[in-house]
Amino acid sequence: MPLGQAVAWILGAGLVAAGLWRVFGGHPQPAEPPQRLSRRELGFLTAASDTLYPPGGAIAESGSEAGIPAYTDRYVASLPGPVGLLMRLLFFLVEHATIAFWAPGPAGWRRFSALSPEQRTAWLDGWRTSRLPPRRLVFTSLRAILAMGYFADPSVLRQVGLAPRAIDSPVVEADLLYPPVGRGPEAIRYRREDLTPPGAARVLALDAPLHPDYAPRADGSAS
Amino acid sequence: MSVAAPEEGAAGQVRVFAQYDGDVRERCDVVVVGSGPCGSVMAYELAAAGLDVVLLEEGPPYTPDDFALDGATSMVRTMRESGLRATRGTLLTTMQANVLGGGSVVNSAICARPPEFVFEAWRSNFDLEHTGREALDPHYDAVADFLGIAPTPDDVQGDRNLLFRQGCDALGISSEPIARNVRGCVGSGECFTGCRARAKQSMDLSYVPAAIRAGARVLTSVQVQEVRAQGRRVTGVAGQIVAPFTGKPGARFEVEARAVVLAAGVMATPVILQKSGNLANGSGQVGRNLQFHPGTATIGVFPDPVQPYFGATQGYQSLHYLRDGFKLETLWAPPGVFGVRMPGFGHDLKRRLAELSRASIFDAIASCHNSTGEVRARRGRSMNPSLRWRFDPQDVQVLGHASWVLAELLFAAGAHKVLPGIHGVAEEMHSLDEARVLQTREFAAGDFVNASTHAFCSTRMHGDPSQGVVDEFGRCHDLDNLWLADTGIFPRCTSVNPMFTGMALAHRSAGVVKEAL
Repeated sequence: MPLGQAVAWILGAGLVAAGLWRVFGGHPQPAEPPQRLSRRELGFLTAASDTLYPPGGAIAESGSEAGIPAYTDRYVASLPGPVGLLMRLLFFLVEHATIAFWAPGPAGWRRFSALSPEQRTAWLDGWRTSRLPPRRLVFTSLRAILAMGYFADPSVLRQVGLAPRAIDSPVVEADLLYPPVGRGPEAIRYRREDLTPPGAARVLALDAPLHPDYAPRADGSAS
Repeated sequence: MSVAAPEEGAAGQVRVFAQYDGDVRERCDVVVVGSGPCGSVMAYELAAAGLDVVLLEEGPPYTPDDFALDGATSMVRTMRESGLRATRGTLLTTMQANVLGGGSVVNSAICARPPEFVFEAWRSNFDLEHTGREALDPHYDAVADFLGIAPTPDDVQGDRNLLFRQGCDALGISSEPIARNVRGCVGSGECFTGCRARAKQSMDLSYVPAAIRAGARVLTSVQVQEVRAQGRRVTGVAGQIVAPFTGKPGARFEVEARAVVLAAGVMATPVILQKSGNLANGSGQVGRNLQFHPGTATIGVFPDPVQPYFGATQGYQSLHYLRDGFKLETLWAPPGVFGVRMPGFGHDLKRRLAELSRASIFDAIASCHNSTGEVRARRGRSMNPSLRWRFDPQDVQVLGHASWVLAELLFAAGAHKVLPGIHGVAEEMHSLDEARVLQTREFAAGDFVNASTHAFCSTRMHGDPSQGVVDEFGRCHDLDNLWLADTGIFPRCTSVNPMFTGMALAHRSAGVVKEAL
């Protein structure tokens, strides 16, 4: 094989290896086995969520501490196939768009999750403020998913004073007609005598207790 | 309507997914497709008149335990396409509920009667003789009496709604508490994820149980895919049973009927007609003329806590600028939704999020008659629509004007900064002077994050059969016994929230269906 051809082959193989490493290599193992997303997608989500919501500051939890990657994994698993696929393509696009749109600073072509926190912030901000509507749309879509995940965390909601309150749902006529979703009529647990009388509703007090799923745990740990 | 105990065995008139063990065949006088506000009114009125009615709904019924409190999960469960539906052309996100009771389960219960000038435009542009406020008021009244529609009382307004009134008063513009189909609101602000307090008189709690009491049968988790017809008459509908949440198709079903009422919604009714051999489309208008009320929301941050988690989801409105093309309202939603709107990164973003407890959000919805689109069935088996819509530059400026008024209103209410959420202007504005750029700027459609849950006109009414799909009573021009009853039959958008008008028109149409049978 002529020397030039050999060099070309070696360079080509190196590029392929670098590409494979870029996409598949060096991602940490998640603590919990994911439902739908891959290790590399969770790695990307951890980086993106901690860029948007770093540790400390006005709200203690970072994005990853608030469980955004795990929430997004469950969310994507609940989506119909084509919609879930589009969402995963979005993650792939943002993770690897640094090939086309380099991040400022050294080695700005690395995948998003491999950039420094400062580079990630500067790079995503470029998408947010871009004059090109499609780039802004990509950013807005990503931010929407991350924001939903951040605000699904009970501790975050408590810190911003927006955790849902406990409400005793009255028993109404419909509760005698419909079972919970996925169950049959045998799961209807109310009878006529259980109906709540009209006028029993009380306006929510400003200091009403929190919904049990959003209240701090009795042992003081974060829920 | 008072709390009523159903007859023993009434639950047997409702069929849910777990009960289907094979193909289903039913026969009735009238089959109503869609249990949203319009379909439920139809089903009840026709059953109460002694007709044998079957009401079909693609989604399942919900109990309070089924409601998810976080926005994303709630949308996945209660919306077609997981709440991620959008138009092509100009991108606008929109939604279609997929639950017994339709959109009424996840809307904020606003019941507004459009002013006469809206109907005057309908009559003069679309050859309609009998569709004005005076003609429709008895039907609005009947629905209002049934649902207990009343202005939101002060004790559940909460600070964020009352600040709107304060702002309007300071600017000298009219405002009013929003009339809603609610009984015993507790002020939880959770209308969009389902009312745990069971105060909102959504259709699953009001008209559907009443229809059942009157003898109607309700089949849930059934997706209508076809209306069957012979000549000028329809003979029934057919489709598949679909699993809750996943939509996984199962056994077949069919319902034979003397008359069919399609009330599947602006984005589903045209698809069903198109998938039924382009039925009822002699005019060529099925799926065309799609309109929305695009909206914009502005966040105001106040010096003192507003405690925004308390209060009616949308408790106050102003119709002052209706003739200018927009309506002003208060707004609350799951916090994640506002988290999406907050600008910035990192600690700046977190600081802004922490200010949400001092925030009040006002929004505007715009009457965009020039911005139209279309609904098309997709190839294959999917019943999801393909949507195209274009935001007309003239209408974009209406939304721009509204964003200036929203900023003005928030500062007048005492906000120390506003976040307009519009591309190309400052993310935070600290004074009215800073906000004046909103007054003079030439806006582009892409400057706004476009969204709308109000959709119209995809099967519009018109006095001329060559120009519209139905007459002003909802009967198809091309077929003798097919009625359409959702906001798709509106000839133009209503400029105010459409649910109440849809119900009033359905109430009127029910009388015509009764006479025809």
